[in-house]
Amino acid sequence: MTTPTPRTVLHVDIDAFFAAIEQLRDPRLHGQPVIVGAGVIASCSYEARRFGLHAGMPLSEARRLCPKAVILEGHAQVYRSFAETIFECCREISPSVETFLDEAYCDLTGTDRLHGDLLEAARALKQRIRERSGLTVSCGLGPNRMLAKLVGKTRKPDGLARLEASEADAFLRDRPIEQLAGVGRAHAQTLRSMNLLTIGDLRVLSVEALTALFGVIGRQLHGRCRGHDTAPVHAREVPLSISRETSFHRDTADRGEIEGMLEYLVGRACRTARELDLEARTVAVRLRYSDHEGAEQARSLGTPSDADPVVLSLALDLFRRQFTRRVALHGVGVTLSNFASRVGEQGELFDAGAGFRRESLLRAFDDVRGAYGHGVLVSGRALHLKGRLAEDRHGFVLRTPSLTQ
Amino acid sequence: MPELHIERIDEAVAVRADFRGGVVSPVAFRRQRRQHRISRVNARWIERSGRHPTFFFSVTDDTGDVYQLQLQSADMLWWLDTVTLEG
Repeated sequence: MTTPTPRTVLHVDIDAFFAAIEQLRDPRLHGQPVIVGAGVIASCSYEARRFGLHAGMPLSEARRLCPKAVILEGHAQVYRSFAETIFECCREISPSVETFLDEAYCDLTGTDRLHGDLLEAARALKQRIRERSGLTVSCGLGPNRMLAKLVGKTRKPDGLARLEASEADAFLRDRPIEQLAGVGRAHAQTLRSMNLLTIGDLRVLSVEALTALFGVIGRQLHGRCRGHDTAPVHAREVPLSISRETSFHRDTADRGEIEGMLEYLVGRACRTARELDLEARTVAVRLRYSDHEGAEQARSLGTPSDADPVVLSLALDLFRRQFTRRVALHGVGVTLSNFASRVGEQGELFDAGAGFRRESLLRAFDDVRGAYGHGVLVSGRALHLKGRLAEDRHGFVLRTPSLTQ
Repeated sequence: MPELHIERIDEAVAVRADFRGGVVSPVAFRRQRRQHRISRVNARWIERSGRHPTFFFSVTDDTGDVYQLQLQSADMLWWLDTVTLEG
């Protein structure tokens, strides 16, 4: 019987991603505290982090802590292009790369004969990424995804670290409980109230106790606190969700403008879904009021779909049910999730060709937009936005175009 | 640091560029009858959202202003997108 090849996973994390790109694009920002975000910090430079700033912090608080910070709204398409350059470098050394917004997992299991020393291969990758993109990344090599990410975090920014399976126990034992993947703020609070402060402390709890406390994730935590993580690296391009959201240039209660924006966002999200051959089962609409209150509702479609009119009909219904307060909206967003692989649109009972015709029409739209940019075709309520918003070759210039998560 | 202000330009411009070694690098561009010598290419990236890739460049000219240029590979047209000014 042959023993299985020990796994090796490389985690690549782009340092201060959005902020680093802005510093690269404008050398006057080098060494300055830079924040990218609208409403809250999406990314901030290491200079800003010295003032206690971090992702998710409201901009009002960030301004108070660091009045000299340069605040930029961000350029989603630019960030995507840089990320793709980096992920291409990753695919050159690994047959299986799983990518997220600003990080990637590369499965290097069994590639020792190709690369030789994997630490050297990771060092060469960092160098290549720097040459091609101008950005630095922090890398961690470990026997599984969780340990690779965790060890990489110990050498940020621009670092490289390796952890052997035999070192995992000692490495994890004294780390704060919050550093364990799956332990968020609420779980950490629960565990701290039980005087379980480190990852090592968690090992006293049985799998039954952890499951009773945290449900399905409890079972995973039982393994993770011992350094076990069997999650594979999927070379998938399938996102868990596709979100498109934006703030309005000016807070608005104009239903025409809001519904126009919703139609536009649905169009962009559905186009991305079609490009990935995915159909969404669930549609969510998120509202942000000007008084910082938020509302979100999600509902499932009868049949998974990637067709703009089908998704829009549900999105508009969700919007109208939620938009009940007499307060202007600051932003709106739509999220498609719970994807199924595409099987084509179901036809109407008495007009079987209708579904096919709509599908062909949407595909034709996609082809035109693929060649000339999304903004070249605007339809329906989204026409309300013409003249109100600036446009570029990708479509309307949104204040905070979100990235696909 | 003084505030930075991004101004959209969106104009086709004439650009002198170096294509040696399979890499394109803008060297100078002409706008409103004034030649801007590019002292530094700060960053470059490629967008592949359309059928033909578009090459983007962030450049600093000889006065220190930062511009964004794009080369649309479909028709080899140079476009001046923005200038980022201080103040």
